[in-house]
Order: sequence, then C-alpha cells, then structure tokens
Amino acid sequence: MLTGCSKGGSDGGGNDKQDQQNAKRQQAGIKFGDAADSTGPAAPVPGAKSGGSMEVLERDSYAHLDPAQVYVFNEMTVAQLLDRGLTGYKATSNDGKQHEVVGDLATDSGTTTDGGKTWKYTLKDGIKFADGTPITSKDVRQTVERLFAPFINQGPTYLQQWLADTSGTGYRKLLPDGPYKGKHLPDSVLSTPDDKTIVFHFKTPHPDLPYTLAMAGYSIVSAKGDTKEKYDKTPVTTGPYKIQSFKSGKSMVLVRNPAWDPKTDPIRHQYVDRFNITFNQQFEASTKALLADSGADQAGVSFSNQVDAGNLSQVLRDPKLKSRVVSGYQPYVGQMNINMSKPEMKDIRVRQAIAYALPVTPFVRAYGGSDAMQVAGGLIGPTVSGYDPAFDPYGKKKKPAGDPDKARALLKAAGKLNMKLTFGYINSQEGQQYSTAMAAGLKKAGFDVQRQEIPAETFYDQVSKVNNPYDIFHTSWGADWPSASTVMPPLYDGRQIADGASNYSQINDPHVNSEIDRINTITDPVKSSAEWEKLDKYLLTKVVNEVPTAYYKGTQIAGSKVGGLVYDDVIGGVDPRRLYIK
Amino acid sequence: MGGGGTAVVSGEPGPKAKGEAALLTGRSPGQLMWTRFKRDRTGVISAYVVGFFFLVGLLAPLISKVYGKNPYTVYADERPELFDSAGVPVHPNGGISGEFWFGLEPGNGYDVFTKLIYGIRTSLMISVAVTVAVVVTGILLGVAAGYLGGRTDYFIGRVIDFLLAFPAQLFFIASMPVVVSLFVSPRDETPTYVRVVALIIVQWFLGWMGLGRILRGTALALREREFIEAAKVSGASPWRIIRKEILPNIVTPLLVQATYLLPNFVTAEAGLSYLGVGIVEPTPDWGQMFSKASTELVMQNDITYMFFPGVSVIIFVVAFNLLGDSVRDAFDPKTAR
Repeated sequence: MLTGCSKGGSDGGGNDKQDQQNAKRQQAGIKFGDAADSTGPAAPVPGAKSGGSMEVLERDSYAHLDPAQVYVFNEMTVAQLLDRGLTGYKATSNDGKQHEVVGDLATDSGTTTDGGKTWKYTLKDGIKFADGTPITSKDVRQTVERLFAPFINQGPTYLQQWLADTSGTGYRKLLPDGPYKGKHLPDSVLSTPDDKTIVFHFKTPHPDLPYTLAMAGYSIVSAKGDTKEKYDKTPVTTGPYKIQSFKSGKSMVLVRNPAWDPKTDPIRHQYVDRFNITFNQQFEASTKALLADSGADQAGVSFSNQVDAGNLSQVLRDPKLKSRVVSGYQPYVGQMNINMSKPEMKDIRVRQAIAYALPVTPFVRAYGGSDAMQVAGGLIGPTVSGYDPAFDPYGKKKKPAGDPDKARALLKAAGKLNMKLTFGYINSQEGQQYSTAMAAGLKKAGFDVQRQEIPAETFYDQVSKVNNPYDIFHTSWGADWPSASTVMPPLYDGRQIADGASNYSQINDPHVNSEIDRINTITDPVKSSAEWEKLDKYLLTKVVNEVPTAYYKGTQIAGSKVGGLVYDDVIGGVDPRRLYIK
Repeated sequence: MGGGGTAVVSGEPGPKAKGEAALLTGRSPGQLMWTRFKRDRTGVISAYVVGFFFLVGLLAPLISKVYGKNPYTVYADERPELFDSAGVPVHPNGGISGEFWFGLEPGNGYDVFTKLIYGIRTSLMISVAVTVAVVVTGILLGVAAGYLGGRTDYFIGRVIDFLLAFPAQLFFIASMPVVVSLFVSPRDETPTYVRVVALIIVQWFLGWMGLGRILRGTALALREREFIEAAKVSGASPWRIIRKEILPNIVTPLLVQATYLLPNFVTAEAGLSYLGVGIVEPTPDWGQMFSKASTELVMQNDITYMFFPGVSVIIFVVAFNLLGDSVRDAFDPKTAR
C-alpha cells in the first residue's frame, strides 16, 4: 500500500470574498430585539423531524454544570441545550450568520431609560425549571447574588464588576458570602419589586448588558434547588433538555425536559429525543469515526471537537462531504505581544521593525493553513462588530512572510542592529514549529532572536507575570460577545497591569486608557464599534504593542443522518439547538 | 554476556612479530584477522556502507555548499509558491525536483536533503562521542575491577548492578530537561551544544555497564594466566601489566562490543529526539525527522517524507550490525554462527 508516492498539497482560495461578506454582515451589527422578537416559539428548521437519539463525540468532559461556573467553550455549547438566561441570541437566518439579542426568559432584551445605568427586565409567563417550579424574580436574585459567593470562581465576572463598580476581584467585597448567610444585595444595586420584575442599577452606564446576560455563565439558577457547590453536579436546568445521567469523564445522556414550553422560547428547538454524549474522543478519533459514517455514528455529531489539522484540507476539498461539514470563524484573534515594560522595547522603531519583520505564515501553517487560520490585519476580528477587513497596517495580507528589508532599515535607524530579542514560545508541537520559522524571519531583519520554551500547561501564567523575561510572546484572545468592549479593555487598559492580568503586552498609554473609558459609555452599539475600531488603528499605528497574526477558524463534521447542521457564528461552532435526525 | 570468554592469547608478544615479517610464518593476530575479514563479503560491503555514512556526515557542510542550500532556510516563507497554506509541498512526492533532490519538509519547508545529511552528522557525532566515552569508562572500571579484584571489584560490581537496575529510557526522558536546565541562563536560548552535551552525558551515564562487565570478566580470566604471573614475578608494576599485558588482549571483545554499541546509541539518540527531549527544531537530527514524519500532517499529506530518514537509519543500523558480526567472526573464527 505504501507506494513511495504521495499527493501534493492543495490549493487555497476563495477567502477574500468570504472575508468581504463577513465584513458587511458585521458592520450591520447585532440588533437588540423587542417584545415581538422575543416571543416563542422559534421559527421551525426547514425539513426538521422529531425523534431519534443522537450520538455526540466530545474530547473533554464537562468540569462544570453550574451555570455560574461555565466559561469554557465545550461547556458553553452544551449549556445552550440545558440552560436559559434573561436574554439570548436568536438566529434570524438559517445559516447561523445573522442574530439578534432577544429576551429569553425575559419578555425583551431589556429596557433602559438613562443610557445603560438602569436596566429593567420582566419575566415571561409559563416559564418553569425542569422540576416544574415556576421561575420568578427570586431565582434571578439568587442567580446574581450567588455569583459573589467564594465557591463561584470560574465564570465570567462582567456583571459582578459592574454591580460593584470595580475592576479586578474587588467586587467580592460587595457580598462576601453570597446570599447564603442572610445578606442580600440592596435595592440600590438590584431590585426585584415583584415576582416578575428585575431592575439592575449601575453607577456607570453599561449599554452592553443584554449581550452580557446572554452568556451561558449568567443562566438562571433555581433558588429552591440551590445546593451551593453540589449544584455543579446536579443543576436544576431550564432548557429543552435535562440531564438523565452523567458519568464524569465517560458519558452523559440528555433527555427532553417536559417542563420546557416551546411557546416561551424564541431561540431553541427540541427535535431530538436524546443526546448520548461520550467523552475522551480525541479530534483525530472523532473525525475518523464521523468520516466513516457507519452504524450509530451516522446520527453522530460533535458539539466542540474540530476536524483535526491533518485531515482538514482533505475533508474540506471532498465534494461528497459538503453537506456534512460546516466551518466558520471562531472569536479568537492571535497576536504577538511586544513586552512594553522592557527598556529595549521603548523605541517605537524597534517595535515597528518587529511588526514588519514578523512572518505570520508560520503560525497559519502550524495550525493547518488557511482552512484553520486567516492572516489578520487588525486586533478586532471578523466575529466582532467594527471589523475592518481593509485595515492592514504592516502589509501582512500582501506579504504574510514579513518584510525584512523595511524592518532592517528601521532597526538600523534605531541603531539596534543585531539586538537581542527573547522570544517566549509555548512548548507544543505547533509552538515549536512556528517559533523556529518566526525566529528565522526575524533574524533576516537583523534581530538576534533567543527562543525560550515555556511549558504549555503554565504558558499563560508565565507570560502574564509582570516581571517575565520575554520580549515577545504569542497569545490569543476571544471576544465574549460580538463587541470590542470584551477585547480592548481587558487587553490594553494600562490600569489593569498585574500578575495574572490579561494586559499581556503591559501597555499603559494615557490616550488608550481615556478612550477606553469614553467608548465604554457610548450607548449606540454601531457608534461604539466604530470607535473601538479607531482605537484598534491607534494601537497598531501609534503604539505598536501587538502584531496581529491570525483570526481562528473552525471546521466540524457530522454523520449523514444529522439534519439542521449549521455553524453558528455566535457559538463559534455547531449549533446544537436546531439539530434533528433525518 | 557471551563475549566473556573470547580472549585471544597470542603465543608470542605481538609487536615483535610485525617488525620481522617472515615469509612463511609470523603473521600477527591483526594480520590474520584482516585477511579473514577481507574474505567476508557481507562485512566488506557493510564496512563500505558505514564508511559512506561517516563520510557524508563528515563532509555535510561541504556537500551542502556545493548543493547550494542549508538545512535552516524556511523555504515555506522563502518560496511560498512551492507550498500550500498548511506548509505541504504542492508538487507530488513531497516536492522532489531537480532543485530539491529529496523534496521539502512539510511544515516549515526545510530542504530534506541537507537536513538529512546534517541529521546524520549530528546523530553520528553524538553516538561516536558516547561510544568513546563508554569505551574509556568501560576499560578503566572494567579492567580495574577484574585485575585488582577484592574490594575494588566488589564496589564497582555493586555500582554496575545499581545502574543496571535503572529504567534507562525513563531516566533519559526525566533527566534530559534537568541536565539542560543546569546550563541555561534565563534570557538566552538553550544553545544546541548544551543539548548535545546533555545527550552525551545522559547516555554515557547508563551506557557503560555492559561493556564494563565484559571487560571485567576478560581481565579476571587473564589475571590467572601464566604470562601475567611471569610478568608479576619479573617485577612489573600493576599499571605496566594492565597496559602491556592485559589491554592488547581485550582489543577483540572491545572492538566487537563497540561496533554493537554504536548503532544502539544512534537509535537511542533518535528515540530521545523523537520523544522531544533530545535535539529540537531547527537543529537537523535523525530522530527529530522521525518525530516530524509521525505527525498527522505528514501521514495524511506527504508519506514520501518518511522514507528518507527511515530508509537511511535502517540501512545504517543493519550495516553497522553486520559489520559488528563480521569483525567478531574475523577475530574469533572458532565461535561459529
């Protein structure tokens, strides 16, 4: 069988067009829906049938089922079936590309009269937990207050910080024990005047609240069934499915939740009878099983496993697989951080030289090529409102392998030819591959590159230390919702430099800081996304603390009997809520 | 431990016989061995193959200069038209062409030909160094234990037992990063020579015991022979006895063992680099080429690549082992296969 022959590589192409379509879509932004948009049931999926059980192959078991602890991709995806929040993303097209934020348990996406300082939500009628008890404002209060309890430490922290009006972990002082020792948030912060009404009071405007509440981490928890730490194993769910059995690390079975009323839910469907989830399926294994398409795997899918890098180009080029394969963007943007705290990096010409010299092709190559990564221009990616595909300050789209001549000239002008540049790289197979080629590119421009391996398990801990020894290192960041307000402030706010903080490049620029404060108060999402993009341009042309490398893409595959298969841009993967069995 | 009793004892001291070169008799054991070896066709061919590999390794810089490429150029960035975006060569058979004789490596697109010859150079250099270190250690400790006996023998014997009890592969994997980190300063890259030295140290540390034991056995047997006793009686110092009487007589097991050891070290070194604890990219190395060949990217898209490191290492190890057999046969024709 092994004949000494092997096929050559494949051609890419077709990216530009897709790129432009994405851009157009994103500039339109995501609308906040009103009461009519928020009324169930969800528009039926064309051709959908009820019944059958679906096999789900997953790599990682779910470490957390308590909604407040959910912040990891695979847990967020399964939460789409299990949990409901006050708001949610409704797909308004059948291709998973267009969405609006609507009321999920609430009647609309939220009303504010003072530019985002006060937000009022009203609960729908007929909404119940899986145990049959109706959902009231008491449960919402419990959901919010328990976020402050010490055992909740994995989920998002936006809402807590906004309510306490602090950054970092200072919010915990507002309600140190959560609701469990009889103390509650005062009405000046969170008021629940009756069983149906919830009002959030912030000191500063937070126009993004409808996005925030749509995160899986802010799904509603039952006040009656709140078992604190134990809730992580036995949650009282609200979505169309409930957990029949869960063996951590082995399997999980989801069955229909009879208490779920489709008339109250504008977002989800309940076509499949049960989902049989098995864990420990590596990417290669799940891809091979679903490619083979035999037996139970014909009705098989994976919520979060990608097609592995080795099979990727063949899977995408096979016309027979077209109906079984979906791909799209993930919210992550890869970026090479330039450590602004290093004295050697104070000269902007040196930073510009790095930006011009750095080849981004090694990074794209290491992860499977243009099917898996798209060469980046700016720091705001295609899944975020405000993305500008024309922005490309260092010519990476034309010269992805870098521009060593220009870089060398800049370095010479700065008098730093052959300066030492310590490059911390993640010691994974991909990291080794791209770092050596990147180092070769930087060397051509006149840098004396010193590569330093960092163990993969502790990589982010090491590079987020204030006193780390690295001049440059690569990280990626994903937006929590399609707004740059979940990208720019955590990454570039100079007042947040601390050990473990996400301001990896340690930039502290007064203009950037004041712009972050200013744009955070703009209530019109279209206007604010334009302002964020302006800040992106300022960062890359005037500060140069980052070199964007690539926008991440995902590709997933399903069995031939799986219907309703769509790559949802907001989830960043297969949309499990609309799957049915043909 | 089959080599324990293969001592060759010549009736008369060797050096003298060489000088006189009588017509009918008087061929030294060395000369006898050489004529026997030349008659063994497998051995001669293996010797040529092994010699070729060493020559290639030795002349790698020269060859690549003539060939006009080096193993560090990232052709995927220099010549992007030859690759798809995932770094797989566009042309069939891994991009083999008149320009790139053995094709291009998937991923960063290194030139496979220069990478292979430099890889041979790295691997052989490390293995030869380890073999030399092991032989020297084996002679020193083995012969000392065997000849001196008593307490020295007991002590060295227990050290050997202790080290033999170590799980070698696990020890290599665990200790390589530790040894490397002993040398590295926090701001600089780990220099390649540090990894090389660490590889040599680690393999030497657990590599000498087998040879040491064999030589101890040989020396033990020799110690009781008449010519040694004669030397003792005539007042020779232990050092002179070891040097002049024992060493010439252990050359046979030494040579045979060394030719078996070297290919073992080559594969062990390749194994370590394959596991990612030996030589790492971009330094060319046999084992690291295997590690690259085993990735899903190469398996799915460019199986040709695997043949170059694979076939070359098989040829080398087989040839070296056959050479070892022939050398043994030539020295000691009585132990028939």
